[in-house]
Amino acid sequence: MDLGLIIGSLPALARGAAMTLFVSLTAIALGLVLGMLLSFARMSENRWLSAAARFYISALRGIPILVLLLMVFYLLPAVGLEAPPLVAAIAALTLNTAAFQAEIYRGGFAVIPPGQIEAARVLGLGETRIKTRILIPQVIWLVTPALVNEIIVLLKNSSLVSVIAVTELMRVSQQLVSKTYKPTEVYLAACLLYVLMNLCLSALGSRLRRRIGGASAGGRP
Amino acid sequence: MFMKIQNMETVIEIEGLTKRFGQATVLSDIDLRVYASEVVCLIGPSGSGKSTLLRCINFLESYEEGSVKVLGRLMGFEETPGGRRRASERVVRASRLALGMVFQQFNLWPHLTVLDNVTEALRSVKGLPRAEAEDIGRAMLAKVGLSEKVRSHPASLSGGQQQRVAIARALAMAPKIMLFDEPTSALDPELVGGVLEVMRDLAAEGMTMVVVTHEMGFAAEVADRVVFLEAGRLVEQGLAEQIFQSPESPRLKAFLKSWNDRRG
Amino acid sequence: MAGYAPVVLHGLWVTIAICAASTLLGLAAGLAVELTRQHVRSLRVLCRVYVEGLRGAPILILLFLLYYAAPGLGLVLDPETAGVIGLGLYNGAYFAEIFRAGFESIPKGQVEAASSLGLSPLRILTRVKLPQMPALILPPAVNQVIILIKDSAVLSIITVPELTKETSKIINETFAIAEPLLVLALLYWALVEGVSQLGLKSERRLTRYLKRTEEGTRCS
Ligand SMILES: Nc1ncnc2c1ncn2[C@@H]1O[C@H](COP(=O)(O)OP(=O)(O)OP(=O)(O)O)[C@@H](O)[C@H]1O
Ligand SMILES: [Mg+2]
Repeated sequence: MDLGLIIGSLPALARGAAMTLFVSLTAIALGLVLGMLLSFARMSENRWLSAAARFYISALRGIPILVLLLMVFYLLPAVGLEAPPLVAAIAALTLNTAAFQAEIYRGGFAVIPPGQIEAARVLGLGETRIKTRILIPQVIWLVTPALVNEIIVLLKNSSLVSVIAVTELMRVSQQLVSKTYKPTEVYLAACLLYVLMNLCLSALGSRLRRRIGGASAGGRP
Repeated sequence: MFMKIQNMETVIEIEGLTKRFGQATVLSDIDLRVYASEVVCLIGPSGSGKSTLLRCINFLESYEEGSVKVLGRLMGFEETPGGRRRASERVVRASRLALGMVFQQFNLWPHLTVLDNVTEALRSVKGLPRAEAEDIGRAMLAKVGLSEKVRSHPASLSGGQQQRVAIARALAMAPKIMLFDEPTSALDPELVGGVLEVMRDLAAEGMTMVVVTHEMGFAAEVADRVVFLEAGRLVEQGLAEQIFQSPESPRLKAFLKSWNDRRG
Repeated sequence: MAGYAPVVLHGLWVTIAICAASTLLGLAAGLAVELTRQHVRSLRVLCRVYVEGLRGAPILILLFLLYYAAPGLGLVLDPETAGVIGLGLYNGAYFAEIFRAGFESIPKGQVEAASSLGLSPLRILTRVKLPQMPALILPPAVNQVIILIKDSAVLSIITVPELTKETSKIINETFAIAEPLLVLALLYWALVEGVSQLGLKSERRLTRYLKRTEEGTRCS
């Protein structure tokens, strides 16, 4: 075990980890918006809209991220959209997490008593106002633990964007290995960085869970 | 009923029993003897330690001080010249064989049929061959009036039937003493009768029984002796009629009064 | 294009075989870790490190460690073996947690009833606890298998000739992109849907004994 090599690689690995966090958090944030819209579509009274959302959610939950990534990376240019790897990576992760987040939000909305919505209607609030003012703030709070869990999953999945040459933690470690021929040290160090990031996240998650009292919402197990 | 106590063979002997959960003393300095063929009912307010006392008797709970002897055998510990030592798992298991236990929540094994529930211990603990175990199992189920349910799974039975299976399961091991922890509290009122019936028959056959119960009618009718616990202490004990007709301690009077008030 | 059907089918077969083997390994590892955690106090911390460590790491880096780093320690594995071990042990961490929840959901009273009848701890495990496990862990376990199937696409990166790898070979040979990728996505989706339907079906079967047919209890 070459400790000096690990220490020497740390700055590069840290830059990779920063990129990993950037990609993951951007995708989570975009996925939040898309997922929220999807969950509304899924719960909509319009049958076609609801069926389309259900189709999207089922399909995207059934396709491996790696395959989705290849589809976005290769098919976008085919329809004339030239996307740099970073954009393709974030797009693929967003499309994926949106499907999972949609189910999380649906679970969250399900536990809000319908009486609250009726009370708002009685007072004359518009449907959009009810969503933005009454429902979404509560649901976001309710589902934070599930959302933190989703961030962890996404953070791990983000390692796959290395295959389209985004220089996040995984890619940086591959580059280091091809320079130093020391896979054990480099990959172990990168692995520990991932574990560290996720342990922090899951500690945050269980704190939130205790605060919120374990709201039951769907999402990944 | 009084006649049975003529034979004064002690089967359970509890002396100075003290049990703590962390800081809380749940049983303090309990002395109690149970004689062969006797029916002893434990009564007392919720949280007074009735279940804990019962569970100490068959060592489902360990205890800190005092001793619990069943048929002369110290439960859970071995006396050595150097002092008292925790007995091995095997020894504990062997000494439990004299005791059958019936729980408030039945605790049947849901994946096994009624007959398998009853024969499991016969086969795995006593090592009986299947056929022999099943003969005993059927006989026990007949005794509690459930011959038709042999092949059913517990979930398809009513609560009263489940509790009777649990009794048959305990009886199959031919215990010398039966412990009951509120066997009817989880049952709808109309199902209580069948279970009490079975227990009454057992008592009439001369089984030694220790019964935690809130069924004062049953206690008054079947118990030879009633023991009143409160806050982990044995406050009063005596013959059933004495306890119910002329209680001495103010605590027991208050308990019986609140009991009668609640029943209107 | 149709000429490539056998290649795709072979890839599909490899994916299924690898997922089945990894699931078995994962279940075995998960159960072993959970039983160790329950019964061997001194190894508790180690079990926790295993579970938390593997769940915190991306599968890709675990595969790289097994495939590229392990040879440096004298352990040379072919891609398939490295893939099955990697996927299996990685999922073992999740299965351990699933088993833990399963054991915890068995009412304590059932175990006490067994103890009060004199059953040995081993017998309680094999006769009372384990037989109930399939019904108790099925839904989360099926979910985990679905995740495992999708994760198995990653094995293409360490050159296991599974579905994704075979399909990308076709892409490289034919320069057709859209059709193979679409077929690939559909096949995974079908696989995942199939497993989830199978799961629902066996859940109904496995929990049949828990269905009540008469009324009467308030509790339990
Ligand atoms: N495992 C445990 N850990 C800590 N405290 C316990 C435990 N089991 C029981 N206790 C406490 O011991 C006391 C006696 O409990 P026990 O169950 O023996 O009462 P009980 O007389 O059977 O009550 P009930 O009529 O409600 O069944 C209670 O204060 C209870 O909170
Ligand atoms: Mg009790």
